[in-house]
Formats: sequence, structure tokens, C-alpha cells
Amino acid sequence: MQFENVVPLRWPSGPLEIARREKGEGFNSQIRQTLERWHDPAMLEFLKDTAIDCIVISWAAGLAADAEQQRTAAPLIEAARQRNLAVVGWVDGTADHNAAIAAAKAAGLTAVAIRGMHGSSDFPAITWSDRADVAWDSTAPVVAIGGNVWPGVSLASGGADASAGPTGVPWLDSNGWYIQMARARLKAPLWVVFDPPAGPAVPSPQSYVKAICDSEAAGGRWVISLDDNLRSGLAAGNTAAWKDIASAAAFFKDHPDWKSYRSLGLVGVISNFAGSDFDLTGEILNLMARRDLLFRVIWKSQAMAQAMPQPFTGLKALIYADAAMPEQPLRRKITDFVEQGGLLITGPAWGKAGTPAPPDFQTQFDVLAVGKGRLAVARNAIDDPYQLAGETQLLLSHRNDLVKIYNSPSSGCTRYTASPDGKTALLQCLSYADGRRAGLRTIWVRDRHPSTRLWTIEAPPVTLDAHTSEDYAGVEYHLPANATQAYLALEFERQRREA
Amino acid sequence: MNRRQFVSGLGAAGFVMIQPVRVRASAPMAPVAIAKCKSYGDEFLAATAKMFDQLGGLGRIVKGKTVTIKINLTGVETARQDYLPQSRTIWTHPRTVGSVIHLLDRAGARRIRVVEGAWMWPASLEEFMLKAGWDPSLLLGAAPRVELVNTNLPYKGKKPYSRFTVPHGGHLFPAYDLSTAYAESDVLVSMNKIKEHGTAGVTLSIKNLFGITPTTIYGNKVPKDEPAPIPYAGRTDIGHMGSRQPPTSSPSEKDPTSPRQAGYRIPRIVADLAAAAPVSLAILDGIETVAGAELPRPGTTEAISPGVLVVGTNAVNTDAVAMAVMGLDPMADRGKAPFETCDNTLRLAEELGVGTRDLGQIEVVGESIKDVVFKFREHGGPRQWRPPGGRRNA
Repeated sequence: MQFENVVPLRWPSGPLEIARREKGEGFNSQIRQTLERWHDPAMLEFLKDTAIDCIVISWAAGLAADAEQQRTAAPLIEAARQRNLAVVGWVDGTADHNAAIAAAKAAGLTAVAIRGMHGSSDFPAITWSDRADVAWDSTAPVVAIGGNVWPGVSLASGGADASAGPTGVPWLDSNGWYIQMARARLKAPLWVVFDPPAGPAVPSPQSYVKAICDSEAAGGRWVISLDDNLRSGLAAGNTAAWKDIASAAAFFKDHPDWKSYRSLGLVGVISNFAGSDFDLTGEILNLMARRDLLFRVIWKSQAMAQAMPQPFTGLKALIYADAAMPEQPLRRKITDFVEQGGLLITGPAWGKAGTPAPPDFQTQFDVLAVGKGRLAVARNAIDDPYQLAGETQLLLSHRNDLVKIYNSPSSGCTRYTASPDGKTALLQCLSYADGRRAGLRTIWVRDRHPSTRLWTIEAPPVTLDAHTSEDYAGVEYHLPANATQAYLALEFERQRREA
Repeated sequence: MNRRQFVSGLGAAGFVMIQPVRVRASAPMAPVAIAKCKSYGDEFLAATAKMFDQLGGLGRIVKGKTVTIKINLTGVETARQDYLPQSRTIWTHPRTVGSVIHLLDRAGARRIRVVEGAWMWPASLEEFMLKAGWDPSLLLGAAPRVELVNTNLPYKGKKPYSRFTVPHGGHLFPAYDLSTAYAESDVLVSMNKIKEHGTAGVTLSIKNLFGITPTTIYGNKVPKDEPAPIPYAGRTDIGHMGSRQPPTSSPSEKDPTSPRQAGYRIPRIVADLAAAAPVSLAILDGIETVAGAELPRPGTTEAISPGVLVVGTNAVNTDAVAMAVMGLDPMADRGKAPFETCDNTLRLAEELGVGTRDLGQIEVVGESIKDVVFKFREHGGPRQWRPPGGRRNA
């Protein structure tokens, strides 16, 4: 079984899920009934003709209900198999991994997903962990990572008036930065695990679409997880809310190649992304993504590898904020990058060799000219990722902006990537706003391309004309009034293909 | 005597009085030029050069002087009216600035500064322009000795701010602390679009001055006792709502019990500023703009092309003529269009002796008002007024 482009749906049902939920807050007869109904093979009918080709069922949690769960799931598993659906058994809690795998084999599951699974198995075993415990070098067919947020404009920070800082940029919750970081390291496909927010507020279909897009644009795949209300509605035959979700899932399933595209961001962020370095550098990535400062993640181990002799090609700036200075070979590569015209933004431990070249704004950095490039060394230990993200943008200068998006409230986490052969570029734009009215949208890009197509979730692609920017360099694309608010992609043909 | 000295002189006698003196009868008058102009670029350059000549020549105002051009880049740089760049709807157009810089240089200006309280932390004006999709080299290359200054940041040097006292005591504040860039200026030029405004009724050359108040002092979240090192937010708390005072290092309001209403406060702050930092040359762009509000508001604003320029050396006179060109009455008071929910800024500035708004006293040169009038109220959707103490009503 190849999991490369599988679209999974979390399928909570049966005795195990009831046992798990009934001790929790808010459990009621309707939820029980829904969990029972979802154990019925007939429930699979709403997946007919959708992109969902994998259900992730509750399998083992180290509870007494495990055995009953596995026994009663047999009809569901069989029905799924007849519909060519993969079935993954979800294993967590104190469940015995070997026993769960053995039961899965016997029951004909496609795979298991085991929390904390770090070893190998003769049965397909997806490793599943929270962010702090990811087995980066796993050979599992899929790596699933939990501990993620529900994407959207943060309500916890004050609702519609929430802001991320002095400039009033909306506070966006997104997993995109993390997924980009993880994808840069993992060899296996990445499943992103999170559930709809608990509480009385029912997520709208559009917020599910955002959740899918937030993961997909960054190169991950959300294990779609529905709220009780929506699952109850589906059990009652109400599929209206499901259609938007299914459309979004199908859209990305139809574009598997986009996941192989590489960032065109001009800022490289180098780190080991572990421990306190991850706390700081991860937040730098998060805040850069929110302000659409396009970046490329560079794991320190990869930058040092012989296989990557020029890891900084195409970049204009590097951020190195890890506490420990890099080993000499990497330091040499970084120094070469600066001397050849790049900008390094780093902490005080790097040292301050160079000619003072102060910028024209107040900054926490001493900026020095080194060779053809610049070195920006923080005067004190870097501890404010917001400030660093903002100052990086200014040190790099908006002169180097690649993309600007107009009339797209609460947009952010834009991805600008190119195919491995370099012939196609892809700009994916997300808006996290909920129902806010905006005018007609324009997207500005610095580079003029021979042809451009607009992709949206609900309509076939259309060719867009490029308009020369009136006040500046670059070109503008005027989006049709009916273009999706939550997500759209511009696909640029970078070079004319020969006829 | 330049306009600043002239107005300052007027103010000296009345400064100690708490209530502004109504000096409308003696409010100055200077000719205002009107021209038809359909496009930016060469047509604008020729039209403004002619208008400056009609007003007595640019050289007599700027020769050997430091000229400061206050442009207008209000609002969020990613918000547009439909697909149109902001320069064609809500902002000063960069090509008009380049043209005026060229003419100022040709008229002998010693130094030319383009200033704006750029809404960006903590960048230079040049960097803001780049972010906003402008090419600053258009301005920097239009003449020698051109500088760009973000007056929302502390001015470089030992004296970041200078105090500007309001003649006749001021309406709301007795004085304002502004970037020292304004104190170093001999001639202040206000360049912006002719627009309506959701809080102040209209936004013309003196309303453009609201943006000269540094957000390090008059912005939200500033410290209690001293200016913030960098801007944090907009001016709503101190400016619109009066929910707090500026840092104690700057003058407080004259009367903290006065109405906490944006429609009362903003016109008074603007009038105060117009008197404290008088505009010597007002250049109002009605070539292309929006009707309905000062910023793009779907359902309310509409892109329009009145095809007109209004230029004068007295800002209140110029604004009064511009209002007439908009099909509005500069003598209207609160309750009448366009001042349905606010006081008339022009009246308040007139009371401080800045200039008359009485069209009967203002000499118009070039085109006549009736030949260029473009009724803004016949365009756009329902107006959204900011009610006292609250958000917009839509």
C-alpha cells in the first residue's frame, strides 16, 4: 500500500470510542448514538465518489473495550475493503503495540498508526507522535504528527480585533510553518493530526476547508477530523456541510505533484529545530509565515551534508538563531554566503568582524559589511521572535518582495514554490478570515511569467492576464469576483514549453 | 514673512485665552487655482506649473527654502478600491509628487523633503513605499537633495520632537509635539486627494495634517510619561476617542471633560494643526479619487474621475474651493452634508485665523467652480458615518 497520496478521514466509532468519551465532559446520548451509527458499515455511503480513500478507525487504547472494538469493527472493515478504502487502526494510550499489530493483521487492516512507534514492524505501521517526539529518521510509510492548532484567526487572542503585535497584523493560527519545517526533513508523507475545537461553537464548512488548505499548501495532509455535530448530521443523512470539505480534499488529491515543489523564499532559516532552539526558531518561522515573509527551511544536518554542497543557492538572507554556533564546515559555508553578497542574521555568539553598516531604522542588530554581503549580529541574545521576524523583513527590504496580495483580509502563510524541474511556479494564497467582506482581489508578483492559471477549489482553472503594475515593477493579476476567499493558487509557467 | 510667521504672529495675542477667538472676519485669503486635468504625468506637470504661475509663482514661496511635502498614504497598504492601485483612489499619486519635486527644484528650493507618518513598524518611509508598491526612486530621482522622512518615527538627532504651539490657544490641545523635520521646514506643502471622510466629512489639505502627529506620542499603547521608541498602533485612543492623554512629556488636552466623540475631536485636532503648522502650498488631486469615504469600503466607495486639480497657498481657502468643486458647501455646519455627524473642520480652522472658507471672499483663478463641479454625493453607496463613541454603523 502506497500512502503517498492517500486522503484519510478519522472515523471515531464503536465501543472503544464510547468508552473513551463517556467519562469526558459533554458526553450525551446523541454522541453515543452517533458513535454507534458510525460503527455501522452503511455510514460509509457518504464517502462514495469522494476523494476519501482511507478511514482511520479507533483500534486500541489499552482499555477493556479494545477487544470489543476490534470484534465489532469487522463488518465496517470488510465494507471499507469492498469500497477500496484503506483502513488504518489508531493505537494510543497504554495499548500493547504488538498485540494491536497482531489484531490488525488478523482483521485485515491496511495499517496501524501507533503513538510513539519508533521501531520497525513487518506490518505497515504509521508512526504517530506529538511535535516534541517526532522520529525524524523514521522509515514508516507515513509520519503522523499531533499537537497542532485549528487554523483560523485566533479567537483566544481577542476575536476579530485580535492582533499579533504593534502593527495589528491578525493573529493567525496556522500549522503551515511547522509542516514546512517537518517536510524539509521527513522522507515519508506527513499526516497532520488535529481535531476541531471543543466547545459549543460549531465549525463552519469553510473552516474545515481552511484546515485542509492550511495543511496542504504547506505540503502536509490533514487527517480530516469532524466535530460531533457534523458527524451526527451525516449519520442523519445530511451531507450538505460535507460537500465543501470533500471538494477541498479532492482538489488537493488531484495535485499530488504540488507537494514536491520547493520554496522560492529568499530567507533561509537554519537550525537543528530541537529543544529550546526549536522553541525560538519555530516561532520565528511561525511569525515569518504570518507576515508572508517567504522562507526556506534548512535543517542544520542537511546543510552540513556533502550531498548538499551549496545549500543556500537562491537565497538572499540566512537566519541562524540556535544557541550553539555551527561547526566549522557549516560556519564556512555561511561565511562564504555572506561574502558573496548574502545577509546573515544571527546572535551575538557569532562575533562582529566587519565594517559597520547601520541600517536606516532602529534595530537590535549591529549590521556589518562583510565582503559583498552583510552580517547582522544581535547585540543581546535573541529572545523576541516577533522582533526578529519584523527586522528580518526590513533588513532584507521590501525591495525584494516577491508577492503582494490586495484585499484579502487575514491572509497569510502564503506559499510560493517551484517544481523540481524549475519550469512551473506555484503561488498558494490563504485567507483565514471568516465571512469578512473584501473587495476585488489583486495579486502582485515581481516576476513576469509567460502564462498563468488560476486554480480554485470549486471551478476549473482559468487563464489570467498579467497587468503591468502602474506604480512599481512587476505584474498584477486581477482575480475574478467569485474566486474562492479561503484558498486559491496561481500556477505560473516559468518558461515557454516547446510546442 | 512666511505663512508660519504670519499665523504665529496672529496667535501671539490670543494664546492665553482658553476659548478660541473667532477671528473669521480677519481670516486670510489667497487666490485658489483650478484646472482641468485628466491624467497623471505630463498633463499634470503642465497643469500645476501653470497653476503655480497663476498664484504668483512658485519661486517666491520656495526659493532657497527647505520644502516639506506632506503626502498621504493613509490606511492599510493592501486595501484597494477594486483592482485600482491606491495612487488612483485614496493616496497621493507618486507621479504627482515627482512632478512637484521637479517644479520645486526648478523654482530654487534648497532642500526637498517628502514626509508621511508611515504606517509601518519601524521602517523608513522609503521602505514603507516599497512595501506599498511604490518605487521611491521616482521621487528621489526627481531632483537633487530629496529626502524621505517617516515622521511617525523619532527624528534622527538630538531633538526628535519639536513643540508647535497653536495660535489662540487651540481648540483641543494648546500645542502638539511633532517630528523636528517639521520644525526644520520653511515651507509645508500638503499633497493629497480630494475625498470624503467618514469621521470628518471631507479630507482635504488640512485634514492631511492629522497624519503629522507622531504615533510614538499620539498613538495607542504609548507609554504614560514619554514617547514610545517606535510606533505601536493608530491614533484612535488619543485622537478619535480621547480615552487617554498623550504621554506627560507632551501637552495634555485643554479640557478633558469635552466630548469624547470623534466627530467633535478630529475636526478640532486638524484645525489646531492647521494653525500650528500652516500649509504654504495646498495641492489637491481630483484627477482620480473615490467618492463615499476616505478608504475603500465595499458597497460605499466608488472610484471616480472628476479630472480636476485645486491648488492654493492658503489651505482653508483651497479646501473651501475644493468642497465647492465636490458639490458641497464649505459653510455647512454640523448636521448638514458633509458634516452630518461632525463639526466643520474648515470653520474651526477659520476661527483660529488660518483662512476664510467664505467662497464670496476667495478669488478663484483658472477654471471656474461651476465648470468643474463634480458632485461626490451622487456617487458611491450609502455613507457610513462613525457615530459618537462607536464603530461605523454598517
